Amino acid sequence: MVVSFKRLACATALAGLAMTAAAAAADIKIGIVAPMTGQLASEGQDMENAVKMAIDAANAKGGINGDKITTTTADDACDPQQAVTAGSKLISEGVTAIVGGYCSGAVLPTLKIYGDAGVPFVIIGANSTKLVAANQGNAFLANSTGDMQATTAVELFKKNGYKKIAVIDEGDAYSSDLAKLTAEAFKNAGGEIAAKETTTAGEQDYSAVVTKVKSSGADAVFWTAYHAGGALLTKQLRQAGFQGGIVLGDGNNSPEYLEIAGSAGEGVFLLSPPTVDLLSGAADFKAKYKETYGRDAGAYAALSHDVGDLIVDAIARAKSADQKAIIEALKASDFKGLAGEIKFTDKNTLQTSNFRPVVAKGSKWVAAE
Amino acid sequence: MTLDLVIQQLVNGLIVGSFYALIALGYSMVFGVIKLLNFAHGDIYMSGAFVGLIVFSFVGVWVGNGWAGVVCALLVSMLAVGLLGVVIERFAYRPMRNAPRLSILITALGASMVLNGTALALTGGRHFAFSTDLGFAGLDVSAVHITYTQIVLVAASILLMAGMQAFVSRTMYGKAMRAVSIDMGASRLMGIDVDRVIALTFFMGSALAAGGGVMAGAYYGSVHFFMGFIMGLKAFTAAVIGGIGSVPGAMLGGLLLGLLEAYGSSLPFVGSEWRDVFVFGALILFLVFKPTGLLGRSVVERV
Repeated sequence: MVVSFKRLACATALAGLAMTAAAAAADIKIGIVAPMTGQLASEGQDMENAVKMAIDAANAKGGINGDKITTTTADDACDPQQAVTAGSKLISEGVTAIVGGYCSGAVLPTLKIYGDAGVPFVIIGANSTKLVAANQGNAFLANSTGDMQATTAVELFKKNGYKKIAVIDEGDAYSSDLAKLTAEAFKNAGGEIAAKETTTAGEQDYSAVVTKVKSSGADAVFWTAYHAGGALLTKQLRQAGFQGGIVLGDGNNSPEYLEIAGSAGEGVFLLSPPTVDLLSGAADFKAKYKETYGRDAGAYAALSHDVGDLIVDAIARAKSADQKAIIEALKASDFKGLAGEIKFTDKNTLQTSNFRPVVAKGSKWVAAE
Repeated sequence: MTLDLVIQQLVNGLIVGSFYALIALGYSMVFGVIKLLNFAHGDIYMSGAFVGLIVFSFVGVWVGNGWAGVVCALLVSMLAVGLLGVVIERFAYRPMRNAPRLSILITALGASMVLNGTALALTGGRHFAFSTDLGFAGLDVSAVHITYTQIVLVAASILLMAGMQAFVSRTMYGKAMRAVSIDMGASRLMGIDVDRVIALTFFMGSALAAGGGVMAGAYYGSVHFFMGFIMGLKAFTAAVIGGIGSVPGAMLGGLLLGLLEAYGSSLPFVGSEWRDVFVFGALILFLVFKPTGLLGRSVVERV
């Protein structure tokens, strides 16, 4: 009798397990892919936090059509190889949709994995034009692409009267693409490229490059890579007595840039993505972010939060967890978030550029006149 | 290349070279004494920079953000991180001393990851500003601007290295270090406390790396958990070029590597993206054609 009683208990337990599994399967699982380790871990942390904030808010309102939303995070470390592993992990976990991606170099090889699996993927930060070409139709770029930024950059150069530009990148997909596009656009507009240099990520000493730029006679430097290198480069340019203008790509929008560059950063121009400080309606979000996570919202926090809301909105409009329906719903997005409007072109890129030139004044980014 | 450019790149090369030399010294000393490539050395440099930044932000309130603060940070960090080196040796390397070479090499990689991972967990991957009041004032040599900070920096690292060289060649402890590096077993029979000598080697090597870390942090104005990675690789290259195991070799290798980088990337038709190709190309050439480096002794393998 004892034995059969045990069996009964086992059977009940198993049935219970099966029921919880069934309940879990009805949930919607969103994969977040971002650099959680490596050089850009702090941006990745911001992206994860902001997306989770949006998802938590949706769950607090009862989820999507009564289904709870869960998230799972995969670390791509901004490294192409690790990104492939992270992408495969998310696919094998059976996620409904994926959001994230900061470095274009790391996002590029994953597009095929997500495309083959037919998973809707909204890219938050990465914006190289190479991504547009490699997209299989399931990926959406929520950030303006590199060519939009190149146009904004050339407009700024002309307005400031720069004639000879030195372009410096870090050799990765994003920064070399932006450097190339800007150099071409500037040449077409009648400008001259005085020097085109590449540095090593993680390096502290830029003196050799600085010396070359200075001796090339450039009016201004355009740095297309990220803030860690940008701050060091700015400092070392000013230390070597470079008097010309300094313009930074959107990867430099971080409070850390201003902190590290210090007084050397004064008067530096930045092509800014829509950050919380530049957005009029983001004050509540900024305060809530700080309260929830104990740190300031970084450059892509607002956009990440919008993408979190966007995916919830798309799944709700698709009225099911069917991935094809979600992709169609994303295509038809007409979404207004903190960072502005999200409407996609037929290539799944943003219809309107979200870059704004800003200038560093008194350790703050203010809109450039 | 114009003369100005030659002088400017000389200054650039000497500065970055003196950082390489400081870190290479620790690599070289540890290798000399226990034949271990201490992969954690780059992370010790990074730890030094962080300890220095913490001390700097505390003492800065009293002594200001100028030289006094930097020197305080330098001394405290060298002491603390020197002890960290001793602790790492005691718990990670000493139990492995008689294990096969490969095992201890993997232990060193593990120690590197522990330090790197701890720093990432504690700092959240942020880049911290190391803001000093050192400023950009300096001398103008024709069209080349050399700041006082740069002069002090090169002088300080040369002083540290010369002190180290004097310690190794003139004192009893230095003699004991050299004896242990030649034959550990015989040294023990001669009454040398081998464990203490090895601990001392780790202390001094780590303290120098920490000194390099604080100086680099203050000079470049930024500190982050990943800063030791490339520095570790470059310092290793410098140690090999100079002759691993040799103290003057590490200094020479570091300075040469710095100059190679500076001049290599300003060659006509060669972009700065080729800089690391020169560095690691030199490493391969030395390993193939002169593995003992410029000043290293050839080691006779005793069977």
